[in-house]
Amino acid sequence: MNKIIIVNDEITEKDLDNSISVTYSGNEFLSEIKIDILSDTDLTINYISTEETKLHLCFNILEGVKCNLFEIKNGLKYKLGYIYNLDKDSKINICKINDINIIKEQLIFNLNGEFAETNYLLKTISDKKEKYDLMVYHNASKTISNIINNGVNVLDGKLSFVVSGFVPNGKVDCVLDQKNRIINLTNKKCEIKPNLFIDENDVIANHSAHIGKCNEEEMFYLMSRGIEPKEAENLIIRGFLLNGLKQGQNEMENIINKYWR
Amino acid sequence: MTNLKIKNLTVTVNNKEILKDFNLEIRPGEIHVIMGPNGTGKSTLTKIIMGDPNYKIVKGEIYYGDTLINDLAVYERARLGIFLGMQMPMEIEGVSNADFLRTALRSKNENFKLYSFIKELDKTVTDLKMGKDMIHRGINEGFSGGERKKNEILQMHILKPSFVMLDEIDSGLDVDSLKIVGESVMDYFNEEKPAILLVTHYQRLLDYIKPDFVHVMADGKIIKSADASLVKVIEEEGFDKIKKSSTSVIKENE
Repeated sequence: MNKIIIVNDEITEKDLDNSISVTYSGNEFLSEIKIDILSDTDLTINYISTEETKLHLCFNILEGVKCNLFEIKNGLKYKLGYIYNLDKDSKINICKINDINIIKEQLIFNLNGEFAETNYLLKTISDKKEKYDLMVYHNASKTISNIINNGVNVLDGKLSFVVSGFVPNGKVDCVLDQKNRIINLTNKKCEIKPNLFIDENDVIANHSAHIGKCNEEEMFYLMSRGIEPKEAENLIIRGFLLNGLKQGQNEMENIINKYWR
Repeated sequence: MTNLKIKNLTVTVNNKEILKDFNLEIRPGEIHVIMGPNGTGKSTLTKIIMGDPNYKIVKGEIYYGDTLINDLAVYERARLGIFLGMQMPMEIEGVSNADFLRTALRSKNENFKLYSFIKELDKTVTDLKMGKDMIHRGINEGFSGGERKKNEILQMHILKPSFVMLDEIDSGLDVDSLKIVGESVMDYFNEEKPAILLVTHYQRLLDYIKPDFVHVMADGKIIKSADASLVKVIEEEGFDKIKKSSTSVIKENE
């Protein structure tokens, strides 16, 4: 398994085979990491922040290449920028688990070649301030994006998802799917802004956005089997955060247990 | 042994009366069926007994044994032994059936034994001809209508309630599944002798589950009660005729 550990804005460990090429550059203002995915592979990146961390990452997924990327972040404060460039027939499956205090993250997906595909899944528990801004550019026909953002807002948390999909005129047969959901267990304000900027008729696009407490009908169902309200809420949240994770279940469980033991 | 007794119950939702001076008593070991046209409050009745907070009891009482349950929370009613097999069971993503049932059993029973639980679960899944993987999938996640209904019956067997309400448990079932579910309910009835309240539109479920009492409900109250022979009358004459004859009886009495 390819693995990179990034502490603050520096790569402290990397264990990579020849399917991945990593170059690091930086100055006093911003560090930049360029990751080229050269052949089919899996990659795990662990981020640890002990101080305010600013970092820019650029992933290039070459033609015909498939990559499963798993990221887990711990720590204090992040300001991150991501660019994912996907060539023809390439695919990146991204799964992110965040256990952090403050984050501002901007992600740009450039689906540059036909049949390029990205499947993105974020799971986070927000207890301070988290803002995620995703932009998905369908720059070629027959490109696919599936974006899922799942967050639970607790304590002093403020959580924001802004997700924008773009399809210019002439880029046909694209598929865009966005599912954003926040379970807000506080009275603080959370926001989801799902945007679809589509200038082409021949497109399949779906989006859903939901902010609220735990679903009342789900609570009723669980309680009708003798489960107390608090425990029912815990089950629903645990299920919500673990659902769909193919990797990182143990890490997610550990984070959940910090809040809902 | 615990009776369910409903006395002069009037219930509203959004200021609209759903039940009006409703009365019913069900004893352990009895099977009652409620039938009636759509929108007459049959499913609502089961939700009210279960404690759905969307409904407001304006007057009247619901007793389970000696306990007045009007103000009890849903989970407290469930712990008394009340169970509702729902018409449209919820899908809850990520919460596996096994975890859910284990949590429910643990919260009811401090002497919970994991091995016995797994053994019983495995047997019941086999008896109901459910896929073995269903128990590890999210609650009703991706289940067909029939699978969801079987899952309700599975929960009934595991949780062992003393008062079982089954709301249109026959809808969405093919003929084979209907037989499996019907027989499974009767197996449970014969083993545990609970009180059972069925809500159904169709006689076919009653080929397997033999009721002691059949009630016809209209406009939020029971307008006719009789033994199982009433089902045949309903099949032949429809609800309208029963409703009209009952209205004329009421008028004569007035």
